Amino acid sequence: MSRQLVINPVTRIEGHAQVHIEIGDDGKVGAATLHVLEFRGFERFVQGMQAELMPTITTRICGTCPHAHHLVAAKCLDAMFSAPPPKAALLLRQLLNCGSMIHSHAIHFFALAGPDLFLGQSSPVAKRNLVGLLEAAPELAKKALRLRSIGQTIVEIVGGRGTHPVTAVAGGMSYALTAQNHDTLKLLAAEALELANVVLVAGKKALLKDPALLTRLPLSTNDMGTLQGKTLDLYDGKLRVRRPDGSVALEFAAADYATHLVEEALPHSYGKQVLLKDASGATQPYRVGPLARLNCAEDTGTPLADAALADFKKACGNPSTQIVAGHWARLVELLHCAEKAVAMLKDDAIRSPEVRTAPGAINRHAVAHVEAPRGVLIHDYKVDQNALIESANFVVATQHNIASINTTIKNAASLLLDKSDTELLDGVEFAIRCYDPCLSCSTHRVGQMPMQINLWQGGQTIRTARR
Amino acid sequence: MAKVTVSFEWLSGCSGCELSIVDLHERLLAVLEEIDIVRLPILMDVKDYPKAALGIVTGALRTHHDVECAKKMRASCDAILAFGTCGVYGGPQGSGYAHAQSELAETAFVKNPTTSTHFVPDQGVPKLLEEGVLPLDAAIPVDLYLPGCPPHAFYVFEALKSVLHGKPPEFGEHNVCFHCDRHMKHTEVSALRRVHEGPVEQDTCFLSQGILCMGSATLDRCRGACPTRGMPCSGCTGPSEAIVLEPNRDIRTEIATRMSMMTKIPKAKITTEIEKQAKTYYAYAMASPVFRQKPTFLLRRWIAQQGAAR
Repeated sequence: MSRQLVINPVTRIEGHAQVHIEIGDDGKVGAATLHVLEFRGFERFVQGMQAELMPTITTRICGTCPHAHHLVAAKCLDAMFSAPPPKAALLLRQLLNCGSMIHSHAIHFFALAGPDLFLGQSSPVAKRNLVGLLEAAPELAKKALRLRSIGQTIVEIVGGRGTHPVTAVAGGMSYALTAQNHDTLKLLAAEALELANVVLVAGKKALLKDPALLTRLPLSTNDMGTLQGKTLDLYDGKLRVRRPDGSVALEFAAADYATHLVEEALPHSYGKQVLLKDASGATQPYRVGPLARLNCAEDTGTPLADAALADFKKACGNPSTQIVAGHWARLVELLHCAEKAVAMLKDDAIRSPEVRTAPGAINRHAVAHVEAPRGVLIHDYKVDQNALIESANFVVATQHNIASINTTIKNAASLLLDKSDTELLDGVEFAIRCYDPCLSCSTHRVGQMPMQINLWQGGQTIRTARR
Repeated sequence: MAKVTVSFEWLSGCSGCELSIVDLHERLLAVLEEIDIVRLPILMDVKDYPKAALGIVTGALRTHHDVECAKKMRASCDAILAFGTCGVYGGPQGSGYAHAQSELAETAFVKNPTTSTHFVPDQGVPKLLEEGVLPLDAAIPVDLYLPGCPPHAFYVFEALKSVLHGKPPEFGEHNVCFHCDRHMKHTEVSALRRVHEGPVEQDTCFLSQGILCMGSATLDRCRGACPTRGMPCSGCTGPSEAIVLEPNRDIRTEIATRMSMMTKIPKAKITTEIEKQAKTYYAYAMASPVFRQKPTFLLRRWIAQQGAAR
């Protein structure tokens, strides 16, 4: 009997989606696809806007990692107006990025993935959320909330506001660090470092509690992440692609993204997928985000996170093919960002009032990238002689992962096919959340119907099961 | 005391509004003691529409599906709060107002330089509204409005407190200038200047410096985040109370009047510049009838005059 499972919507991910799973006559899972169901049209309607509006208007693509859009747009403007930022501005932008990573990784681990890991997938649906977690593990949940709060406060101090920051401009930052803010940030970063350690230990313990959990969803694929030399860098550097056998396939600058990456529309989804392409036009999937970044990096540049990275690679493999290990990788990055924030705030250069370079000649085309919490984010602008946007192209983190997400859904469904529908659907949602997909970025939205399974045969629904 | 039941729905938006509620930080725990959240798609696995005293809706109407969801919220909630600039005015994607809906999809899917395919997804994806983007009250009656992109936690907390305790909020209807310490002064500046073009005086009003700042025509639900951090206001909360209420007042006339009084730049020149750059200066509330119903407002024509509906 051929049947089709529909999860609608998938909750506890950033954005909205629907999952379709086709089951063939042989009883095996055929295609599995994540359907992204909303479209907003940023690439068209920003045409004609003044280029300097991009760092603030593009933050509205995503409320979860607006900082990444803010920074990558500002990096584009630096190139467009021939204005390399002074050192203090670069430090402040990186601090903003660290704050945003701390916020995003902390909220993901505890509000989105945490309930699965700490309450267990068999806990009641109505309690399997942040509020349930606050009841079951109040101390840990409060620490995680505090960590997210610190991350967001760092962004607010440096970026002017927590969600949708405003201070990164062409040539640097609009606002230098005051002595008072510097002192506050030092205290916050030190506290974040302490909490990040606690959270890493707790997260690792929860992941290792069930020996089968970590190895449940293997996926052997290419990884992509940003490096300076061999060191992880979340703000700038070369993009490295590492093959599943550990060899380096490619290193390239973001400006050459169109040579190496290709987007493909899917008939049933407003989210396009991105694939690697070679000179012959052949394509391959790859993955981005914390797991991919740690798979590409040989070190992190900060000592505590280096030790945590070695521990991670020992337990999960190098490169790790375990999707669930992404939750662990996220916590290693959390520690790295807190450590890096502490280090950058010790550098007196961050207090310099010189935070902005005056613009020079206009370059009509600018491309930049940054590592967003969920992976590589690319902006590409063309402008006219008055610096009005002629065209814009955005390639966002979740798009890179769509092909891998679909394969993981298929694998998860195959493992659970003989289980109850509830277990099957829970397992598939768990698999998707490993990627922390952010669908407002890749254009988002779906229906708000209760989760249901439609069983299809010969084009007709023969049974509908609801959770 | 029984807790107040609250249901959330998320239409076309970015999730920034949801996070602005989490940005209540420690105060969030106090709010959670007074409310019982029965539905919150980003954080909870509940997928139907339970009855609630208060429905908080973020995001604008983009697809036919959004309209259905809005109606289900109205039917299941005693009161509806439109939360954030998207729900109240349409938000940034409201800028799609300047284009045919097919153009938006073609740019992303058919004519995109790094996309190898050339079709618009059409299998089982919700259809876009023919009108483009609409604010929430185009589909359902709305009881309360809290614009802001997103609203600052201060206003979120005050708004929730006032709803929970049945008292009007005490934060007033100020514009962004209320929070800004820059001095308005007469200057000899005779030309408009863009913000990226170089050093900005930190103590002087942007308008005095010839830089367009929307602060005096914009509601303050941000607490003045931009002008207090070296950036002119881009109008993300939407128009000030005066502009909402007075049919003959508009962003461009308000700003041009003030700026021409402080500088040597003629008023007509400023008005024309804002019209020419309508995409930039009406970026957050273009979809709102608040502007469209004004007798002097010709936004689609201004944008079309810039060529290729740019």
